[in-house]
Amino acid sequence: MTLKIPLRLALLFALAFSGYAQHSVLLDAMSQELDRNFNVLKKNADTPAYFMSYEVTEVEYRSLNATLGTVEPLNEGRRRALDVSVRVGTPQLDNYHRVRGQGGANQGRFTSGSALTFEDSVDSIKRRLWLDTDSAYRAASERLIRIKTNSQVRVAEADDSADFSSEPPSVFEQKPIELKFDANAWRERVRKLSARFENYPSVLTSHVAVASQTDTRYFVNTEGSRIRHGRGFARVVITASAKASDGTDLSTFETFEAVEASGLPSEETLNAAVDRVANDLTHLLKAPDAEPFVGPAIFSGRAAGVFFHEIFGHRVEGHRQKDESEGQTFTKSVGTKVLPDFLSVVFDPTRRKIGNVDLNGWYDYDDEGVKARPVTAVENGILKTFLMSRSPIKGFDHSNGHGRREPGLEVVSRQSNLIVQSAKAVPEATLRQMLIDEAKRQNKPYGLYFEDITGGFTTTQRAGLQAFKVIPVIVYRVYTDGRPDELVRGADIVGTPLASFAKILATGDKPEVFNGYCGAESGSVPVSAVSPSILVSEIEIEKKAKSNDRPPLLSEPTVMEGKSGDKGGMR
Amino acid sequence: MSNRGAGTRACRAETHLGACGRQQHRSASARVPAPRLLAGLFLTLAAFGQDAPPSNEPLFRAMRDELARSRQLSIPNLESPYYIEYGIDEQETFSAAASLGGLLSQKRERFRTPFIFVRVGDYKFDNSNFGGGRGSAYDLEAFPIENSYPVLRRYLWLETDSAYKGAVEAISRKRAANRNVNQNDRIDDFAHAEPLHFIRDFKPLVVDESSWANRIRSLSGIFTKFPEIQESSVDLEVTEGGHYLENSEGTEVKTPESVTMVRARASAQAPDGSTVRDFAFFHALDPKAMVDEADMTREVTTMAQNLVAMAHAPKGEDYNGPVLFEGQASAQLFAQILGENLTLVRRPEGGRGAGAPPGDLDGRVGARVLPESFDVVDDPSLKEYKGKTLFGGYEIDREGVPAKRLQIVEKGIFKNFLLTRQPVKGYEGSNGRARYPAGGGTSAAGISNLIVTSSETVPAGEMKKKLLDLLQSRNKPYGIIIRKLDFPSTASLEEARRVASAQQGAAHPVSVPLLIYKVYADGHEELVRGVQFHGLTARSLRDILMAGDDAAELDFMDSPAPFDLIGLSNFTMEASVVAPSVLIDELELRPTDDEQPKLPLVPAPEISH
Repeated sequence: MTLKIPLRLALLFALAFSGYAQHSVLLDAMSQELDRNFNVLKKNADTPAYFMSYEVTEVEYRSLNATLGTVEPLNEGRRRALDVSVRVGTPQLDNYHRVRGQGGANQGRFTSGSALTFEDSVDSIKRRLWLDTDSAYRAASERLIRIKTNSQVRVAEADDSADFSSEPPSVFEQKPIELKFDANAWRERVRKLSARFENYPSVLTSHVAVASQTDTRYFVNTEGSRIRHGRGFARVVITASAKASDGTDLSTFETFEAVEASGLPSEETLNAAVDRVANDLTHLLKAPDAEPFVGPAIFSGRAAGVFFHEIFGHRVEGHRQKDESEGQTFTKSVGTKVLPDFLSVVFDPTRRKIGNVDLNGWYDYDDEGVKARPVTAVENGILKTFLMSRSPIKGFDHSNGHGRREPGLEVVSRQSNLIVQSAKAVPEATLRQMLIDEAKRQNKPYGLYFEDITGGFTTTQRAGLQAFKVIPVIVYRVYTDGRPDELVRGADIVGTPLASFAKILATGDKPEVFNGYCGAESGSVPVSAVSPSILVSEIEIEKKAKSNDRPPLLSEPTVMEGKSGDKGGMR
Repeated sequence: MSNRGAGTRACRAETHLGACGRQQHRSASARVPAPRLLAGLFLTLAAFGQDAPPSNEPLFRAMRDELARSRQLSIPNLESPYYIEYGIDEQETFSAAASLGGLLSQKRERFRTPFIFVRVGDYKFDNSNFGGGRGSAYDLEAFPIENSYPVLRRYLWLETDSAYKGAVEAISRKRAANRNVNQNDRIDDFAHAEPLHFIRDFKPLVVDESSWANRIRSLSGIFTKFPEIQESSVDLEVTEGGHYLENSEGTEVKTPESVTMVRARASAQAPDGSTVRDFAFFHALDPKAMVDEADMTREVTTMAQNLVAMAHAPKGEDYNGPVLFEGQASAQLFAQILGENLTLVRRPEGGRGAGAPPGDLDGRVGARVLPESFDVVDDPSLKEYKGKTLFGGYEIDREGVPAKRLQIVEKGIFKNFLLTRQPVKGYEGSNGRARYPAGGGTSAAGISNLIVTSSETVPAGEMKKKLLDLLQSRNKPYGIIIRKLDFPSTASLEEARRVASAQQGAAHPVSVPLLIYKVYADGHEELVRGVQFHGLTARSLRDILMAGDDAAELDFMDSPAPFDLIGLSNFTMEASVVAPSVLIDELELRPTDDEQPKLPLVPAPEISH
């Protein structure tokens, strides 16, 4: 007995070790070519390179899309994209320096996300690295010369912090994640799921999609970092759309995310989700239009998550603080109160789950090879710090592991898992009563309850309107006179950020997760927003733009055919 | 969501599936396929005409039934459709790409692309040829690939509804716009065509994926032996599929299409920094008929050697004088300056857009365009020529019109344009040449097998001698022989723009020559690079001094894109051009205006084996 355990442990250790130390042809080729190129480029007299990195993103995916019991062929593939970073000049002033100009600042673009062979063909890999290094270096030298001119003619910048922070090198090699997806089983599952929409004649179009993907990132830099890490993504997306008699396009959806396809919900849960998507849509078709309204509202946890992601999260992204074309809502607010004192906001890429829900915004290392860590942005209402990449800003000299990108674009600071924590949490029923009380106090016949939301957007630049818009799908009027809640449609929430925070009165006690993909300068990155529901004393909704097209002129063809007994073939 | 850097950020679960969800799927299926038509099937007379029984395939049943029902479409006070057309391209493809011995991608796809068009008004005046119309009003995603009758009906129902609403809107805008325009010489909007019933099954895609992947991997590995070559790639596409067509005139067509192609391309930098490029393309209708691996290896190796030689060659100078186009280069020349000028483009109505500039042959029917000894035919029914399989054949065009042999030039006199069902000034009625979708319910014409012959020839082997004689009589130090043009072009978009703008005014600029030789009085040749034609148009064909007794065949994927630039047009069709070598008098060549980026500071990595 006593011997068995150590033996098994030793065996496990050996297995784990061999996996861990698995020789990576790609990483070796990357670090050899990095050294070879850097040794020449750092000695070039005109514009010596002082830093280089290579990042290769390897993606393997499989997905299936079904409509009304029919399934499209399996979509699958594997690819690698290469991102090269070359810095010339000095960390204080290099080719990534933000240049002020018309139409906002830009930091230049040097990488192209070229396709790299997905096989371990050293010649093919090295040649691509060499050619892309050459073009990145060329672009870097040219831009540094332009920047030097620009910084001489313009007035001094308010934030004169350096362009690149120093960070300790990271060395980490994880075994690449294996893509697991049982295509045959899923084909039948999505076929059956999508066929359920046949029971809902008012649904015009519907789709059920499932996708499974692995990302493996390979990173080397001239400071000695050498990283291989990865993660999986799996997702089920159920969507439906319909057209109301006045032309309004309506759509509902439901998504489920997990790290692996095997972690996606059971058939029962998915069946229920299809029914909910279809029923919500059917109810929306009959629901009255929302009227423009100013008054109290509850955001469900998912809706509140998106609300915070848009109006708060994007405004604490570090690089915006030194970009003078940005609104810089919070640039000078560190140490001061920006949210009600019962709220804290943490960005935690190391958190993989909330309850039993997998989060979408986690990673081990960011795209600059900096180790992921939790960042408390707001503690008890007080702004503590920003989300940082390796681009320093005044008062914040280092990265906190939030430099992210989609392959082919340059890194900027981005959100990860946004988690709203509340010290003034009340049970949902209490929150609802507080909504009714607040509506009465304001002499409103009802308050609003935003149950679900498709997403939102915000403008952070000075040249634009400093505002946000959040697009709810399911909205209820909660009447003060005890009438049942009433579903309404066609409302957009609009507002300005600072005014909105001050109106948060309390929160619910159950965190909900919104998993999604966030798009910004550095492309689309996976994120999560986690929040309890929140009660706000005042929110404004406006009418949504709508289509003036009539619904289909002819009735659904196969239903009609069945009813009339006509088998088609009319001529 | 791709509003990058504009300061607008968005998070939508619905549309933000990123690489993880439908987005990828969409990008695959949103691609317009590149259908290819297959010749080589026997055409039986019984297949024509209205007597054949309607096809029982679910897709045809769905199209037929929904089309019949859609005739009732109406909106109070607005007209009903007079013509409805469902065209569906189906494609199953295995594709792969490799560079320097490593695969970049490997993919198998199958999808259908619908082209649904509703015409309101009548043949004389309808909603076509006016603005771009509008997209689908419904979130339908890809056209169903499984043959479920009710799902196909639903898709067609919603898309027809959307097309009809677009049509009634377009015709009222078109009427309003036309009120201010003189209508005296107005031509009809749509030509009549005979109903046709023609059904041929598609072939299943049978492909040995790993052996093809191995082949392109090893072909791409050839370039590792040439360290001066910077960019190189080899790609493969094996496609089976075809075109379905159902229209309200009673036409029902299913035509199979298959093609296999392997394309190797590479580039290098000359010492002055300019880029030199070359390619070797291989096409076949049937994968089994493809050039074998040994021959491909030889051709790709020769191409790589030529490319290295081009990188070391001196830049050419201004030249005025006779130019000999040998073999393949002559076919490439005819494909461009004759092939691209055989279509007439109708200007969009209502002052929207200037349309294309007139082609070199517009208004020249009955005029002499080639020496008297020349004949040119476009013959989609021809399977082979002088023992070699032709690539551009087809039986029925995209609009359901049978395609027959068409005399293009007879004894040097221009006879016929390639026509579709869209009437153009002076011509009404299709001759079965609709090969590409062209928006707004119209199709664009293109060549099939374009055969150029001359009744007076000299042995091809003596053409160089004839050129030397000519130089001597003109007292010129050297002449020019061109053995390859960049066609279909592998240039970057920027380079193509530079080349086109240097030939300002030409309706169809000519691509740059790749293999250009100066030939001196003693017969020795010198490779040069970096020159392009100036003023080479269809009119230059009249200056042909002599033709060889050879017949070079160029098989290629034709497209409406300038220079048939690879990757610019999503929709390409098989074509062949057969032509003899030709000697043309008084052509002008000028040095190209190249970008000259510095050579890389770091030497190329060493090849590991």
